[in-house]
Amino acid sequence: MTRRTTRSHPFSPVGLTALAATGMLVLTACSGRIQTNQNQPAPSAGGTAGTDAMIDQVTMPAEVAENVGGLVNYNPFSPNALTKVYFYEPLMIRNSLNCQMTPWLATGFKWEGATKLTFTIREGVKWSDGQPLTPDDVKFSLELGKRFSALDTAGIWNDTFGKKAADVTVVGNDVTITFSGNAAAKFDSIIGVKILPKHVWEKIDDPVKYIDKDPVGTGPFTVGSYNGRKLVLERRADYWQADKVKVQKLVLEGNYDATQAALKLNAGGLDAYWGEIPNPQVAFVDKNPTLNHFWYAPAGTTVLTPNLTKAPFNDVKFREAYSQGLNKDEISTKATYGVMKPASQTGLKLPYAENLMPEEFAKKDTVLPFDTAKAEQLLDAAGYKVGANGMRTNPDGSPLQIKFTVQAGWIDYESTVEVIVRNLQALHLDAKTVKSAPDNVEAQKKSADFDMVLEYLHGGCEVARNIGSKLASDQIPTKTKVQSNVERWNDPATDATIAQLSGSTDPAEQKKLVGSLVDTMMTQYPVTSLIYAPARMIYRTDKAVGWPSADDPYATNSDMLLIMTHLKSAK
Amino acid sequence: MRYFLRRIGFFIATLWAAVTLNFIIPRLQPGDPAEIMFKKLQGKDAELDPAKIEALRAMLGDPAGANLWDQYWNYLGSLARGDFGISYTYFPYEVKTVIGVALPWTLVLVGVTLIISFVVGTLLGAFAAWRRNSRFDSFVTLGSTFIGTLPSFWLALLILFAFGYVLGWFPTAGGYDASTPGWNGEFLADALYHSVLPASVLLITGPIGWILGMRNTMIMNLGEDYVRLARAKGVPDAQIALRYAARNALLPSITGLALALGSMLGGQILIEQVFDYPGLGRLTAQAIDNKDYPLLQALLLFTIVGVLVANLIADVLYGILDPRARKVTS
Repeated sequence: MTRRTTRSHPFSPVGLTALAATGMLVLTACSGRIQTNQNQPAPSAGGTAGTDAMIDQVTMPAEVAENVGGLVNYNPFSPNALTKVYFYEPLMIRNSLNCQMTPWLATGFKWEGATKLTFTIREGVKWSDGQPLTPDDVKFSLELGKRFSALDTAGIWNDTFGKKAADVTVVGNDVTITFSGNAAAKFDSIIGVKILPKHVWEKIDDPVKYIDKDPVGTGPFTVGSYNGRKLVLERRADYWQADKVKVQKLVLEGNYDATQAALKLNAGGLDAYWGEIPNPQVAFVDKNPTLNHFWYAPAGTTVLTPNLTKAPFNDVKFREAYSQGLNKDEISTKATYGVMKPASQTGLKLPYAENLMPEEFAKKDTVLPFDTAKAEQLLDAAGYKVGANGMRTNPDGSPLQIKFTVQAGWIDYESTVEVIVRNLQALHLDAKTVKSAPDNVEAQKKSADFDMVLEYLHGGCEVARNIGSKLASDQIPTKTKVQSNVERWNDPATDATIAQLSGSTDPAEQKKLVGSLVDTMMTQYPVTSLIYAPARMIYRTDKAVGWPSADDPYATNSDMLLIMTHLKSAK
Repeated sequence: MRYFLRRIGFFIATLWAAVTLNFIIPRLQPGDPAEIMFKKLQGKDAELDPAKIEALRAMLGDPAGANLWDQYWNYLGSLARGDFGISYTYFPYEVKTVIGVALPWTLVLVGVTLIISFVVGTLLGAFAAWRRNSRFDSFVTLGSTFIGTLPSFWLALLILFAFGYVLGWFPTAGGYDASTPGWNGEFLADALYHSVLPASVLLITGPIGWILGMRNTMIMNLGEDYVRLARAKGVPDAQIALRYAARNALLPSITGLALALGSMLGGQILIEQVFDYPGLGRLTAQAIDNKDYPLLQALLLFTIVGVLVANLIADVLYGILDPRARKVTS
């Protein structure tokens, strides 16, 4: 209750790079992009269809976690910008759940090979100062990262996930980025680049340190007022898709912990919240089931990550054995009140990514069963015999101990580890929990100084960047650099598959390559999937309807811009 | 004169040591500000995007970049120019600006409650000593000893829960709500309303030290010969209590007050955190959380300089007021 810091904070929709889409427009399939299951939106969302009336006001939590009143800044690159969503817009938005694209400032795109990417820029878009958006603005925004590496948040001008760009050219309404090599895996980041007005930003000497007090954007809102706590945004009548934006006034105010947020939501002082509220059904929905709703979409998977550089975790048989002995249903209940379901061992978010499943697993239940007897049998067979003290030893007879390191204060993680350690002990494994400050756990991940930890496996659309970066040997963390391959899976064949996948343009080939990674997950257990991790959306429908829901999963909490064009008046 | 020069020399040496430690300590801590900020912005369950982390690192500058010696000289140089750098948390705002915004909140809240606590505590302590072993004395002494054993943040949580959440009489967080900061009645009323709960915690725990300190010194003074003489010659009680005993007993408390005013610049970290009060204490907690070295260094420096200056003033005053202090040290 006292700390309003890291853990309880909403995921600010700050990183609007993971993107979303409706089923409005199907674009041609192309390189680097894997179209997953197209759950067609149901016609109505959030209960009622709503009316065409305007919504007076919608209140949401502040985007910035820290504020001392009065420090105004809208520079979208600043870590502390008051909003990064509603002024500067991206080229396209991609739904991270079903991977559908919504064209935004670009009406379409085309890859030539995996080295040349062309966007067609929308006509008739006006900046909030009245000037028209031009392809030159897009070129300027894309090239900004070349001059200032601190602004290259999409990694266009360096070699992260694909080769760096060589140049950007404008022909008519088309803006083409030519890369020095295969760059297909950069796509998701590139479509999320914020497009800035060249006529304003070219006059700024150092955009990195620029304090942007008077934003000129293409977005649906302009600044109404800000008193140091409460940011009021006013709808723009000349927005390029103004007919879709019904919210007259958008208020961003306050940083709430779970208790305060539940109180505010129930009292109608907040219309939506995407931070953690434990047991939202009881804390919120049950208080008024017709108006109060929540939807926790799977954003990725919480996985058990063993340290593969250590015995016995380097033994696949050992990993296979304990993976069968974990009670995922109990983890779901204890850590998330049953809201987040046990996750598929494939690492894919099911059912959203069902169409990527290889044949051999397609019809099977890929959530590993909880089977203590089988796990014990596998351990016996692999030579991990129960010793004199009732605990299993290594095959050579040396004592076997497992220290499970968990971030102290991360309550859901602590509950998860409690269940796992109990499960491991039931297999006669000498396991214990070590609670450590989150910063220390980070340091241990970098130095490979752990036995087991919990980790997040992202479930976005670029499989090469999610499961791929978890398994690629060049993504193994170093002493100074945090990276995704914490378990330290190091296999040349896997590396080759990932390299191929990140440059692949053919959907059939992509599916085959993803299948190969899924196979690694299912048979090698580099990490063990436990439960899905949430992208939370908690909302009220007394003022606005049309929020994303399980029936209409058109967006997640990182796609607020898209949500703004879907909200309709409840009255 | 030598006494004062020595005091000033001591002041400068301590200041240098403090500034140097202030430079070294944050750099001994593990953790990369860019990674921490990335995690903070993205939340716990988020894709680890190397491009974004690299960009942040470029933005904040690599703390391990230049060699330590160069960093140290740069640091001293910019301190001398009054340049504390740019805050990571509030990038690209300068540390000076960020502190400037938070400073008034702490100055008013902590300053006002400190002075009220001092006056009330000293009076209560003096009265308790004068009427020692009376009911009033046992009530005040036992009561403050009891409250003194409770951690102040716990008391704060209790008060927040009771008056903020259960009864709902006062706001649970923040320094103000709907008003616009400035010299207008609406804002001042709003700010006052928000300060009631944190101020009440400080006013409950604040006087305890002064009460006990004053009571003890006062009792000692009451046993002195000059008090006995005053009594013998028939000086009225009130005059003995206030003009004779209390006046002399006040001296150590004044030194204490000077130090407390000095360390006030550190804010009340725990209390401000509990009430989400936008002062220097909460800012310090944020700076620690975010590994915001520039901000943290400036805040620590503020506290240290505040205490040292207060100490120096107290030393000088002592030297003037009490000739014995000069003799003993020289």
